[in-house]
Amino acid sequence: MIGYFKSQIAFFFRIIIGVVFIYASWDKIIHPAEFAKAIGNYHAVPFGLENLMAMAMSWLELLVGICLIAGIMVDGAAIMSVVMMVVFIFAISQALARGISIECGCFSVTEKSGDNIGIQTILRDIVYLVMSLVVLYRSERKFEFFPKSV
Amino acid sequence: MNFRTPIGQVAFLVLLSCIIGFGSNLVRADKIPWIAVKLATAESIDKDVETGESVLVAISLEQAKNLFEQDILFVDARDEGYYDAGHIQGALKNAFLMELIFNIEERQNKSDALVVYCGDPGCGDSEDLAYNLQDSGFTKIYVFKGGWLEWSKAGYPSETGI
Repeated sequence: MIGYFKSQIAFFFRIIIGVVFIYASWDKIIHPAEFAKAIGNYHAVPFGLENLMAMAMSWLELLVGICLIAGIMVDGAAIMSVVMMVVFIFAISQALARGISIECGCFSVTEKSGDNIGIQTILRDIVYLVMSLVVLYRSERKFEFFPKSV
Repeated sequence: MNFRTPIGQVAFLVLLSCIIGFGSNLVRADKIPWIAVKLATAESIDKDVETGESVLVAISLEQAKNLFEQDILFVDARDEGYYDAGHIQGALKNAFLMELIFNIEERQNKSDALVVYCGDPGCGDSEDLAYNLQDSGFTKIYVFKGGWLEWSKAGYPSETGI
């Protein structure tokens, strides 16, 4: 990827997003049924596919988080992070536009966390999106172990 | 699959997630169905008919209105913030499950009918709560799928606050 951003900033953001993804994935991996319901609440997935999505997406979040922190396949992990953030922002926006009142399901899917969707959740995801883009367009590969160079 | 290219890495990450996710669902004790199962919808409801069997069905807006007019208890399964902003008149707030059960039992028996609803058609909270209430011994539970969205759009009786 073409490098625009200083590698120190990119490394710092890499760790932050990595921790966020691992933290977010944990409750979803342990409670797939609740996560599937949380996805279904958005009405953005047809044909009852939310269950399949819940099974795969929680692990994808964990793998992306691990890759970002460990410095393995950072480009691929950063692209997935950007894609997921765009999907999350779209899902929350369309739910808000339709007046659907639901909890986010972003971090906790079991407890009533009070983390309801709103402008604040969209802004939070935009911040993560920008951080992911900084990682994707970093100027050099610091603390990365595979691949070391393209 | 070339792991050195970003696209190859993306494909690997997605594929690995699917393999682990689907594979773990095959072996875990709390496995979920591959495709989400929707709750059966009631063709007609008659709360006075005591079948002796447990009832847990989805109902329409008109059926919900019908039950509302018969003073059937409504329970709001949404988060407290949404409840305070507006809910069906007289509906109970979804607090902790034990507290909610206590509140319901203060008003009626476990065999009496009650309606559970959440935000909109297809939201999962009402079904979740309905199954929890069924596990706790309640036998006549109707899930109003249209929820607050359909009720408020129809302009039916509602109130705000705690």
